[in-house]
Amino acid sequence: MSGISRRKFLAASMAGSAAATLSLTSGAFGAALLEGYPDGMGVLVDMTRCIGCRSCEAACNKEQQLPAPEMAFDDPAAFDYSYHAGQKRRTTEAAYTVVNRYEIQGEEQPVYRKIQCNHCNEPACLTSCFVNAYTKTKEGAVMFNDKVCVGCRTCMVACPFNIPAYSYSSAFNPVVKKCVFCHETRLKNGLPPACVEICPQEALTFGNRRDLIKIAHQRINDNPGRYVDHLYGEKELGGTSWMYLSSVPFEQLAFDTTLGREPIISNVKGFLGAVPMVLAIWPALFTGFHLLATKNKHGEGHQADHPIQEDDKQ
Amino acid sequence: MADLKRTKIALMFFLAVGVGSGAAALGMDLPETVLLNSLSRYYDGVSFDHALHEQVADCASCHHHTTGMPSQDPDCMRCHAGAAEMGVVACRDCHAAEPFSAGYLKAKKADTHRYHTDQLGLKGAYHQSCLGCHQAMGAPIGCLDCHQRNQAGDELFRAGALSSAGPAASR
Amino acid sequence: MKAIISRGFKPIDSPSPENSARRWTLKEKLLLGMTPRQYFGQAVCNPFNWVLGLIFLIGIPLLIYRFAFGLGSVTHSSYDYPWGLLLGFGLFVMVPLSASGFLLGTAVNIFGRHDLHHIERLALLNGLLGYFFAVVFLIADLGQPWRLPYPMFVAFGTGAVLFLVAWHVSTYLSVQIAEVSEGFFEWMGWPQAVKFVKRITVGLTVSAIILSTLHQGALGALFTYAPGKLHPLWYAAEFQWIHFFCSSIAAGLCMVIVVSTIIKKTMAWRCDAGFLDNLDAQTLTLAKGACMALITYFAIKMLAVAHDNEWAYLATGWGLWFLFELAFGILVPLVIMSYGIRHKRAGIARLGAVATVLGIALNRLNCALIAFNWRLYQEVPHWAEVMLCVTIFAFYIVVYRAILYRLPILYSWKAKEAHAPEAVRERIPFGVSVRPSHHQVFRTRD
Repeated sequence: MSGISRRKFLAASMAGSAAATLSLTSGAFGAALLEGYPDGMGVLVDMTRCIGCRSCEAACNKEQQLPAPEMAFDDPAAFDYSYHAGQKRRTTEAAYTVVNRYEIQGEEQPVYRKIQCNHCNEPACLTSCFVNAYTKTKEGAVMFNDKVCVGCRTCMVACPFNIPAYSYSSAFNPVVKKCVFCHETRLKNGLPPACVEICPQEALTFGNRRDLIKIAHQRINDNPGRYVDHLYGEKELGGTSWMYLSSVPFEQLAFDTTLGREPIISNVKGFLGAVPMVLAIWPALFTGFHLLATKNKHGEGHQADHPIQEDDKQ
Repeated sequence: MADLKRTKIALMFFLAVGVGSGAAALGMDLPETVLLNSLSRYYDGVSFDHALHEQVADCASCHHHTTGMPSQDPDCMRCHAGAAEMGVVACRDCHAAEPFSAGYLKAKKADTHRYHTDQLGLKGAYHQSCLGCHQAMGAPIGCLDCHQRNQAGDELFRAGALSSAGPAASR
Repeated sequence: MKAIISRGFKPIDSPSPENSARRWTLKEKLLLGMTPRQYFGQAVCNPFNWVLGLIFLIGIPLLIYRFAFGLGSVTHSSYDYPWGLLLGFGLFVMVPLSASGFLLGTAVNIFGRHDLHHIERLALLNGLLGYFFAVVFLIADLGQPWRLPYPMFVAFGTGAVLFLVAWHVSTYLSVQIAEVSEGFFEWMGWPQAVKFVKRITVGLTVSAIILSTLHQGALGALFTYAPGKLHPLWYAAEFQWIHFFCSSIAAGLCMVIVVSTIIKKTMAWRCDAGFLDNLDAQTLTLAKGACMALITYFAIKMLAVAHDNEWAYLATGWGLWFLFELAFGILVPLVIMSYGIRHKRAGIARLGAVATVLGIALNRLNCALIAFNWRLYQEVPHWAEVMLCVTIFAFYIVVYRAILYRLPILYSWKAKEAHAPEAVRERIPFGVSVRPSHHQVFRTRD
């Protein structure tokens, strides 16, 4: 994957920039590098199977020891909740996954869309985090370390899926919160995440990401007319560990279909590439300007001892 | 959706001509009820009224692929040609209770000739089979229509006595 | 203050009272040579202080409330709008307005434009305070000041744009403290330290250019993480950092014009003749620089629209808003300032500078808040967050004014330091021991 070597280069150059400016020991810098881990796990969300029971929300709440919801998980009124004129529910500091209902014109049944962290192969949150709080594990999870989170919320700005939430309510330790694929409690022990395990309809299929891609395309092929011929997350932004199959066009379910295939970090590379240039060229350039501009005017004036007082006397 | 409608019409047709009792004609020993309790962490086991469902549906609606006799489908025959007649045709015979366990996934991966790579787990199979038909037939589809939620379930859903008012949603 | 001055009072501007071998004490210097009673009297008589007092009366309890109950209690920032007014204004507006330090430093020390030196110290101070208060805004927003140094000492996200911002802003703050310290050392009467700072001026200035280029640009580059969220007219992957850098030049220069105008109107007693007499000429020079930056900025703004072929967006509501920003934030100030320069009318150039400052501020607010999440909904800042911004800005004004009153920023320190050798070696910052070499002694020009 070309993204990897590029990120490696960019991270190295940024570390170099810090080191060059500040004479830091570069050994302290562990740049966060991702591979498209071959054994990375993923989840295939088949929205044609989801019945909107919200068991996954309940299981997530329990597994991640989140605060009690204001409304029971079996209360269908949650689907009618909206904020800011029509915005459906989203992930919050107290809910790492949320299921929303979409009434689609021409469809008898509503379609339910589960949202949670999609665990990108090249996560925007990870690449934007200045304290390296995010880690992409070899199992495919994008982990978050709230011990180092400063709360700058750049990851929330960067996340193209609007997933990370921030504990605005916390006075003394406000940090970012998000789905971590149940990595610590389950994934690393070979267990599927809690939401997958509880799903009665097996709308969530857990497995090796590469196998899931095959399975998804097989489902599309084997069930003509059932699915839109697109696996959302296979290619989007360099690929995500969680991928979606739908019976209706994705944009009708508020999926962003304009994201493209390049990871978010590709948009930042223009600037990151300029950093070492500025660091390398500016010192000599401006010292040169200084010499050119001052040499003849003030004789030895470039010695930094500025004749300000001299001017005062004039 | 159109597919489901067609199924519904077909099922009603079968019901009308009494094909539902056809299974008995096969000379099988059919259970009156089946206790579905392998996954009863948050709900009590479900006593499935097999006899009732014989009345309303064709055996093959649920026991897809086979009702016990070796399959005659040439595609299936490629692997299952030598299969013996089965006395019990239970969901769990094919559908794994833990389809996402590390062991199951590993075994599946190791079996490179495997055709059923996208096979449902047991819970998924039940629910998709039952709910799909219930939806098509206009039968009850709420979770609590079939399941009795237990104490642990109420706690999980923060429901019943544990519920509180207001939406569980964002700022 | 004006009343006291008119009665013949002369604020301290030299190390010792006239015709006396005695040196001013620190207390006397802090009170500008007034008695505490006099000082308090003039402060109470100033109606602006009453306004400030009112702001603090509401704002300080609100600030305490914010730290006690969390950011959520005072903001409409949300999961969708992570950055509210405290950052949108406090960081994204304050930083470009503080670009003045490195710009005037460069003009004077690198390009040898010594005609600008009367205003250089003001520009340096403007830079330092702007950055310092951007950090104060940041702390008010983040609420965990103890975690602010994490990217420096605890965890390193070396590949992140904000990592660069954090490092560069903090280093640049120290560079600016060093630059401004020259005036402070004069005021304190530490001639060796003054000499030391002068010796490293070029080094400091060049590092200021590097750090400023990168972090002014980096603030823009932060938005390149959000291609789908920031409206395409404001978003430009390749140009974003250049937009921010280029506009910060105009913003920084114009902010100095605005501040110097306010000073001229309200604080003329503190300025020496050198400052006042040269101000109009310097204003026009700065305005010229700002015009060049604005023209370039406008050109690359259009370039970005053309590059991404976003002309169609101009016909939408967002397009009108974008055109409004271009017209009133770039073109109108440009025309006003050019007119002022052409007819050598500093007053008109000042008007243009105010428009520029507002225009660039609008651009930053557009990027951070208004045109952000254009496909979602519009966040309207909470009144408490507005009040917090006003309060912190009022702190900024108070500190700014207090320093201008005292340190030789607007006037030159009538030093006779060469005749008053003091051992200050142990007080020199940076832990560097500076030997007063032969070379240095002979190069002292006073």
